[in-house]
Amino acid sequence: MLRASLLRARPIAPAAHLQWRVAHRFFADTKKPDETLLPGSQSAKTNVDIPPPPPLTTPTNPSAANTSTIPAGDVPRTPPTPEEVRSAPAVSPATTPPTGTGSSSVAPPPQPPKPKKRRFRRFLIQLLILSALGYAGGVYYSLVSDNFHDFFTEYVPFGEDAVGYFEEREFRKRFPGQAGSPHLHPQIKGEPKVTIPSKHGLSWRVAEDGEEGKGSDLASKGRHSSAVEEAKPAASQGKREAPSTKDKPTESATHDLLPKGAVKAEPKKEEPKKAEAAPAPTAPLVDNLEIPSAKEPVVQDVVKILNDIIMVINADAAASKYSSVIAKARSDLGKVISDITTLKEAEQKAAEEKIRAAHAEFDAAAKELINRVDRQMQEQEAHWKEEYESEREKLAQTYKQKLQSELEVAQKVHEQRLKNELLEQSIALQRHFASTIRDRVETERDGRLSKLTELSDSIHELEKLTGEWNAVVDANLKTQHLVVAVEAVKATLEKADVPKPFVTELAALKEIANDDPVVAAAIASINPVAYQRGIPTASQLIDRFRRVAAEVRKAALLPEDAGVASHLASLAMSKFLFKKSGLAVGSDVEAVLARTEALLEEGDLDGAAREMNGLEGWAKVLSRDWLGEVRRVLEVRQALDVIATEARLQTLLVD
Amino acid sequence: MSDSSSTTPTAPVARTSRPMSEALLNEKWDRCLSSMLIRSGLGLSFGIVFSVLLFKRRAWPAYVGLGFGAGRAWEECDSSFKHAAAPSKDGLRVLRP
Repeated sequence: MLRASLLRARPIAPAAHLQWRVAHRFFADTKKPDETLLPGSQSAKTNVDIPPPPPLTTPTNPSAANTSTIPAGDVPRTPPTPEEVRSAPAVSPATTPPTGTGSSSVAPPPQPPKPKKRRFRRFLIQLLILSALGYAGGVYYSLVSDNFHDFFTEYVPFGEDAVGYFEEREFRKRFPGQAGSPHLHPQIKGEPKVTIPSKHGLSWRVAEDGEEGKGSDLASKGRHSSAVEEAKPAASQGKREAPSTKDKPTESATHDLLPKGAVKAEPKKEEPKKAEAAPAPTAPLVDNLEIPSAKEPVVQDVVKILNDIIMVINADAAASKYSSVIAKARSDLGKVISDITTLKEAEQKAAEEKIRAAHAEFDAAAKELINRVDRQMQEQEAHWKEEYESEREKLAQTYKQKLQSELEVAQKVHEQRLKNELLEQSIALQRHFASTIRDRVETERDGRLSKLTELSDSIHELEKLTGEWNAVVDANLKTQHLVVAVEAVKATLEKADVPKPFVTELAALKEIANDDPVVAAAIASINPVAYQRGIPTASQLIDRFRRVAAEVRKAALLPEDAGVASHLASLAMSKFLFKKSGLAVGSDVEAVLARTEALLEEGDLDGAAREMNGLEGWAKVLSRDWLGEVRRVLEVRQALDVIATEARLQTLLVD
Repeated sequence: MSDSSSTTPTAPVARTSRPMSEALLNEKWDRCLSSMLIRSGLGLSFGIVFSVLLFKRRAWPAYVGLGFGAGRAWEECDSSFKHAAAPSKDGLRVLRP
């Protein structure tokens, strides 16, 4: 209401109106459209929640209502007065933001950007906090659970470092003494690692030339190969001396045989030769061809060496010094050559002797071999002969055995056949014997069996006779039982003062009768009501007759199709009727009643029933029940009579 | 059975479903009298009501009503007597030409 008045009071300017609406749209939004307020209906509530009155200031100052939401920059500007609007050109000054008349000048909605930014920032902060919390939780849980530790360190970035840091701290806390040295593997810290060179292991190179890798080369000698370092040099020295000492012992006799010995001896001689060659500066060379046994290559070599030495000495300045030595050497050369020749001859002789000995040996061996071969051949021949003989004997024996066995088999077969024939004959004989015996026995048996059959026949006849007699006795007994049962039923009926059911007696009777058709028919003829309820006695019948007769007498004078009037008349007139008695003559109701009474007194139920059956009309209707009772009694009596006569008849029939 | 007979030495128990034949007529009389009373009473009361409401308290409507009731009762009684004498045709099929 207030707002409406305010709206009305406001100057009418389209732009300002729009701004106003924008600034106050909260109030518009909160109002429900379907809420209808009657004037005065809310007056009770007024003191409870009066809506804050919209600012009564000019619309230019709406910030009083919502200073908290609209910043100063977004405050809508003062709308221009209509005169200004009209006078102002379409183009606004460049410095000021466009505040035209249209909706384009409307300030951008101040609210939306703010909450958005804040929301985003809040979301970021929350995300950060959450992730930090999650990370911390993950680190903690990884310290607790091994399984999670594996997962965390493997998949979460920097998880391993974080977990490792905490583990380190825990470890330090537990073992303060080893605080300096981390218990984790040094690899984490980046210490020098053990690297295996690319060309490690076996290679074609000898171990010595791997000098550059001496520091870590395992192939080189060092402490790792042997702990005893000091003893080594001495051992090596010893080793070095050993071969020098060994030189002499290795020389064997065979070595002496070779010309090497001579060659070896020469270097010893050369030393003095060198000394000798000195004095004779121009010592003559030894002539190769002059020397005896110049053909020997060894000698030639020696001469050559000597000549070389001489030449060297000759070339030298101090050749005179060695002249004497060289001369001596030359003389020695001759001796050496002679030695060589002698040695050669000796060798030749020895070789010849050896060859001869070998020849002789070979001859002997050849002879021996031939002898051996001959002997072997002879032996083999003898062996073969023996084998041949034995084989022949064996064959002969096997053939003989075969023949014998076949002969035996043939004999056996023959014998068997003979035996079989014999057996057959015996069997035939036995059969014949058996048949004859059987015949005899049969004849004998027939004679006796006939007597036996006669006996059994007579026994059968006897049995039959006794069976018949038994049947007779049984029949007698049965009839006796029947008679007794009938008597029992009769007795129960006569004894009873009151109608009593006699189903059990009848059932017993039927049982005893043993499906006798006559008895069954007689029992079936009885009305089931009779044996289920019992039958009235004679006295009861008479008593009831008297009552019935009184009623019948009242209806005695009724015509056919009598109405109420005739009934009344009959009732009245029947009082005046004369009573008849005895065997009255006539067919009127009174006479019938008198006759019936008389018959009943005599005990003739059958006659009484016949008389009463002769009535007609109402009289018959009234006496219907009494007649039914009488009939039932009669039926029972008749059935019992029939059964008794049947029993009597059966006793008569037995013989 | 025997004990029941000893306790009730009187005649067989009267069957409630069907009255004994000798009592048929008496029963009819009873019914006729009772119906006569009721119907005549009803007729009388109706007559009285009519006389009060319509006929300015004249006596004759009452008598007429009584006569109607009594007559109706008589007729019913008569018919019941007439039909009872003839053998009942229950369970019999009537062949008409």
